[in-house]
Amino acid sequence: MIMEKDDHLVSRGRHYWKSLDGLAETPGFRSWIEKEFPDGASMLDGVQRRGFMKMMAASFGLAGLGMTSCRRPEHAILPYGQSPEELVPGIPSFYSTSMPTSKGFNPLIVESHEGRPTKIEGNPSYLPFGGGTDIYAQASVLEIYDPDRSRGSFKKDSKKTQGSTLMRWKKKPTDTLLLEVSKWAKEKKMAVLSDSSFSVVVNKIKDDYLTQGIKWFEYDPIDFLKPEKSLASALKADNSLRSIPNFNKCKRVLSLDCDFLGNREPFNQANSRSFMKKRHIRPNKPEDAKSMNRLYSVESDLTITGGVADHRLRLESSKMSVFANLILAQILRKLKSTDETLLSHLEKEQDILTAQNEWILTCVDDLCENPSSSLVLAGNHLPQDVQVAVYAINRALGAIGKTIRYKPVDPTLSSSVGSLVDSINAGEVDSLLIVGGNPIYHTKEFIDWEKLFDKLDNSARVGYSIDESSERCDLHIGQSHYLESWDLGLTWDNETLVPVQPLIAPLFDTKSDVDCLLRILGDSEDAHNLTKSLFEKISDKVSFDDFLRLGVAPYKPTGSMFSSAEKMASGSKEFLSPELRSFLLASSPVAPRLSDQNLEILLVPDFHCWDGRFANNGWMQECPDPITKLTWDNALLISPAFAKDLQTKYPDLGLLPKAALLNKTGEIAPDNANFINGKQTAPIVELLIDGAKLRGPLYLQPGLADYTIVASIGMGRSQTGRVGTGCGYDSSPFMNTEGKRVQTGVSCTPTGEFQVLANVQEHWSMEGRAIVREANVSEYVENNSFATSMGAESHSPPVWGRDQNMDLASKSQTTPRGNSSYEHPDHNYEKSEVHGLHQWGMVIDLNQCTGCSACVVACQSENNIPVVGKDQVLRGREMHWIRLDRYYSSAPREGTDIPSDVQVSFQGISCMHCETAPCESVCPVNATVHDEEGLNAMAYNRCVGTRYCANNCPYKVRRFNFFDWNKRDKDEVYKGPLGEKNDSLPAMGKNPDVTVRMRGVMEKCTYCVQRIQEAKINVKVAAQRHALLSTGKDGSDITLKKEDLKVKDGIMKTACQQVCPSDGISFGDLSDPSSKVSQLKSDSRDYSVLGYLNTRPRTTFLAKVRNPNERMPDFSSFPHSSREYHDKSHPSHHDDGHSGGHSGNAH
Amino acid sequence: MRNFFPRWANYIPLKLVICLGLIGGAVTAGITYYATPKYTRVGYKPTQPVAYDHSFHSGQLGLDCRYCHHGVDKSSHANVPSANVCMSCHKNIKANSPLLEVVRNSYFGEDTDKDGRLSDEEDLNKDGLLTAGPSVPWVRIHKVPDYVYFNHAIHVNRGISCVECHGRIDQMKVVHHAKHLSMSFCLECHRRPEESLRPMTEVTNLDWTVPTSDGQDLDLAQIHAGLEIKENWGVNPPLSCTGCHR
Repeated sequence: MIMEKDDHLVSRGRHYWKSLDGLAETPGFRSWIEKEFPDGASMLDGVQRRGFMKMMAASFGLAGLGMTSCRRPEHAILPYGQSPEELVPGIPSFYSTSMPTSKGFNPLIVESHEGRPTKIEGNPSYLPFGGGTDIYAQASVLEIYDPDRSRGSFKKDSKKTQGSTLMRWKKKPTDTLLLEVSKWAKEKKMAVLSDSSFSVVVNKIKDDYLTQGIKWFEYDPIDFLKPEKSLASALKADNSLRSIPNFNKCKRVLSLDCDFLGNREPFNQANSRSFMKKRHIRPNKPEDAKSMNRLYSVESDLTITGGVADHRLRLESSKMSVFANLILAQILRKLKSTDETLLSHLEKEQDILTAQNEWILTCVDDLCENPSSSLVLAGNHLPQDVQVAVYAINRALGAIGKTIRYKPVDPTLSSSVGSLVDSINAGEVDSLLIVGGNPIYHTKEFIDWEKLFDKLDNSARVGYSIDESSERCDLHIGQSHYLESWDLGLTWDNETLVPVQPLIAPLFDTKSDVDCLLRILGDSEDAHNLTKSLFEKISDKVSFDDFLRLGVAPYKPTGSMFSSAEKMASGSKEFLSPELRSFLLASSPVAPRLSDQNLEILLVPDFHCWDGRFANNGWMQECPDPITKLTWDNALLISPAFAKDLQTKYPDLGLLPKAALLNKTGEIAPDNANFINGKQTAPIVELLIDGAKLRGPLYLQPGLADYTIVASIGMGRSQTGRVGTGCGYDSSPFMNTEGKRVQTGVSCTPTGEFQVLANVQEHWSMEGRAIVREANVSEYVENNSFATSMGAESHSPPVWGRDQNMDLASKSQTTPRGNSSYEHPDHNYEKSEVHGLHQWGMVIDLNQCTGCSACVVACQSENNIPVVGKDQVLRGREMHWIRLDRYYSSAPREGTDIPSDVQVSFQGISCMHCETAPCESVCPVNATVHDEEGLNAMAYNRCVGTRYCANNCPYKVRRFNFFDWNKRDKDEVYKGPLGEKNDSLPAMGKNPDVTVRMRGVMEKCTYCVQRIQEAKINVKVAAQRHALLSTGKDGSDITLKKEDLKVKDGIMKTACQQVCPSDGISFGDLSDPSSKVSQLKSDSRDYSVLGYLNTRPRTTFLAKVRNPNERMPDFSSFPHSSREYHDKSHPSHHDDGHSGGHSGNAH
Repeated sequence: MRNFFPRWANYIPLKLVICLGLIGGAVTAGITYYATPKYTRVGYKPTQPVAYDHSFHSGQLGLDCRYCHHGVDKSSHANVPSANVCMSCHKNIKANSPLLEVVRNSYFGEDTDKDGRLSDEEDLNKDGLLTAGPSVPWVRIHKVPDYVYFNHAIHVNRGISCVECHGRIDQMKVVHHAKHLSMSFCLECHRRPEESLRPMTEVTNLDWTVPTSDGQDLDLAQIHAGLEIKENWGVNPPLSCTGCHR
């Protein structure tokens, strides 16, 4: 435990000191601080102490000039007093654990170096996730080293000075405060407000609380359990009915506002894995494309799921009820239903969807033609009638039990935050304990907490950092990170038990939520023993130790209470039960008439900080949103149509870009966002709905439904750490008691102010270049090698020249000259007599990428990549080694309008490790050179920072350390060596196998060279020891073959490859023709980006194949990006737009 | 008009050039000699908190290096032994020597009466677990820069003896820095591994030399034996940056 003897918060000044008048620096406040300490006690504290240290450092430095103390600095090596068993310094240990989330527990394997958790990976033993993780799990390791987390427990201390009351948090031992709270539990009417939990332990403790008469309330800003509860109540089932899709057997999917591949829906990792698997085309098996699944997406916001979709329909979320009913009606008609009462009821409002009628009919045809292998999904924010209609549709399609399961789940016994308000008002509760979540931040606009807290005698908060909820309470009890806690939880599918086991003792004087709740109840048991005993009670086959080793155990709910629910969940023939029919008849959804005066708002969890809990996480804030590419901010997304309306009304907004130059085809096609000097200036608007006001910057987002505004929840936090302060706007004004996330009746007025947004991608379009190459299934089946006939290289002499037909293994081991008259540098270096044993290469399958961005953060975590802050991102100095490019393409269009319907393509770009790398030839100091295994190496200690290499890199993947990002906070970097050094806590999370780069050096993707070297060393050591043991002589007579020394395919994974939930990245040895990566590279979809430059990149891409339906009204025979490419590279074909499928061999 | 400058002033530029040349040469020579690892590192001999004598333990008693540095053939680090390794002998031998006070404190920790059991009075932090004492603050001698990732396991397992980098530790009463361990030192060996390769079983035998037949030159015999090992084992030490820098 890190013991901090002095009151840590005091030296932090205004970050933690809060006075009621909000002025921490008033003279009265200052004098109070001074009185708090006896004269002289603080002389060596804070600023004065720092000044003293600076002076001393300077004098030591001067003394050094005189050569009097020119000594080598002394380092101590501190071994253990009693070494833990099996621990060898330098070898990381791996522990299974899991991360509690509102979507169930996420099973993990965490790497620990000498006791410090450094890297998080998915647990491959949990098969639905298959070893992948999501972006939040990756970023959560940074939270444990967050310098702004609460470093202990605090009590509010108030003092009256000069007429005003001043408050501060005073540090107290956690045990003392817990004892205080446990007194309230015994003597007073206490209530608990918590977020919902998938923890078996917490739910058991909850029962204990309820039996003790302590009330328990739950609040979730994003309530994933709402759909299953509302479905159960509509069907009058005893249990919640949780929908769990199974894409393994699914051919057609219709998604109604459901981002099932993205972070907005639960179980998205499993969905990404199984759904994308059905889109996977195995190497040299083009026939796989014929059995590819097809996704129809109807959505108001443009999500990454919509980006994957083969057909996408823009529709406001508030029209989804009518839409779902219409789909149900059409399906029933297809099934020859004669229930005219129901049919006409379902079709009542269909006029508003006349424009979409053909789309709907064709889609329904396609769904019905694939009975039992089609599926419809609804977003969790949609109301009950949609959930029920979708359930009915799935019954009618025969999907239940085949492509979707409605799993009966124990309903949670808890009351909502609304009933807490009633209880407090009725005087039934006089002390409140808030555990986890951050309910006050989300509910502050519709609950008058100030009045409620006046009625309370006591209040305490168990939280990870001092946040908006802590601010109201008297006590703040520091909560431990999940990597410091014991717990036992369930995954979302309710089928697997996973442990939370600590990797490290709490760094500070904090306790886990389980420990806090137990202490408060006066229970002497600790979290570990309770976890163990509960596990042993549930599972008698597996021992607790084995469970911890494997990290998963099967879970079967006991009891026979599911009888009624089971009937609902099974796909019986009689698809409309009486309950279902009567519900459908009783509900009459009305679609609002939306206009620019009556807008709809959709509240979604923010990409960066989820519901606000990652607000102080620099990795998450800086990771660009996959669609908007915004960092450090959220924005109010509006559609191009509404932007045009606004622009006409308020011409000064500058929302629409000015018309660009005429392009070759004669159309004026501005298709990039409005940037001024690389900075996106966004007008700030005020949204109004029933008196609630929300201010935020507008962001024009193509692909949005015309009158939808998308706002994200969780940003704009007022009480958070140094990282999250000032990021984004707060959408809590639009939060409401019912938890409705789709609301209509919004009006929008510009305030006349503007804000700069840090957007990392100016360009929307590929401008007709063949960067991402795409084809439809029909084209791909006809012409397997469509990808090689695109791009400038299809018009230039072949790069490999006469060596064109050499196999990949020999190409990778030699450097064919191609048709060049110059000799290429060879891989042979100095006296290394043979080439490297391996030749590393990577393939990224664009058909598998959803754009989830987990690779970006995984790379950041593995490779110690610093966070630079919004100001530096605006200067284009972000440091990510992987850049996830997002491109839009659209159907042919005339005029200057920004397209509304776009197709999205993602492409992850990192250093390509070109064999003839342009960066190497311009480095004046040979800091970037090739190694014998084909890696483009970067020697940081040689780099002098000329940045020539970055200028010469055609892929723009090199990143320069303009400042000492790792040494100083982001607002101190400009001061250079005079700036204050930052807190050393985050340094504990660095990967010790990777250099922490300093100012002035270039860096880029290394193909995770530390993992490569580790794998190579392990193989060689194992081979050598094995051979020695088997011969039994002195070892000089051993003969090792080349194969013994090679890393086997699949043993070594790069960080981005390991995290990818859909296995889109492959990495391995090109000199081995049987390796997966060689197989993939021999596929006809394989192409190099900018291949005509003869850079011969080691990272290549597999072209994307889309699977649209020919009968659909929005069908185009080429993906929009290919059509743009063909139009621009062959303007003569422009008239007939769709004729582009020329064969590259003709050129 | 009178000359402002006397005649000897004509030679000032020449003198300056010569002087600067001499000073520059001296500075360059000085830096080359005094500021390179050969001078700054070799011979570094700090005083250790415990006067551990390698020449006695390793030289006279014949303890294998790996008895204490047990991670050397498994891990990148050659660990300095934890106090319990020392105490596995010194619980009985010289159990009360004042020289070992620091080690005993580190080993027993909260167990102040050193009886191997933790009584309630001794358990100061009341966690029921024996908390070890402060670590023995051994002073680091061999250190490569932070951007160098040297791996002990691969060297030790592939026939590179400890002696190649650390010298005759078994003859040192107090360990000092024997070789300069600069990048050129690493590269010399990586270019000509045959001069250092030896059978796996002789890696921790610091006294070992290649067996020679009568009159054969020792260096030549080593190169012959080394080349054979290199060939048989497929030894191909990396010469590129990624071998050591990540």
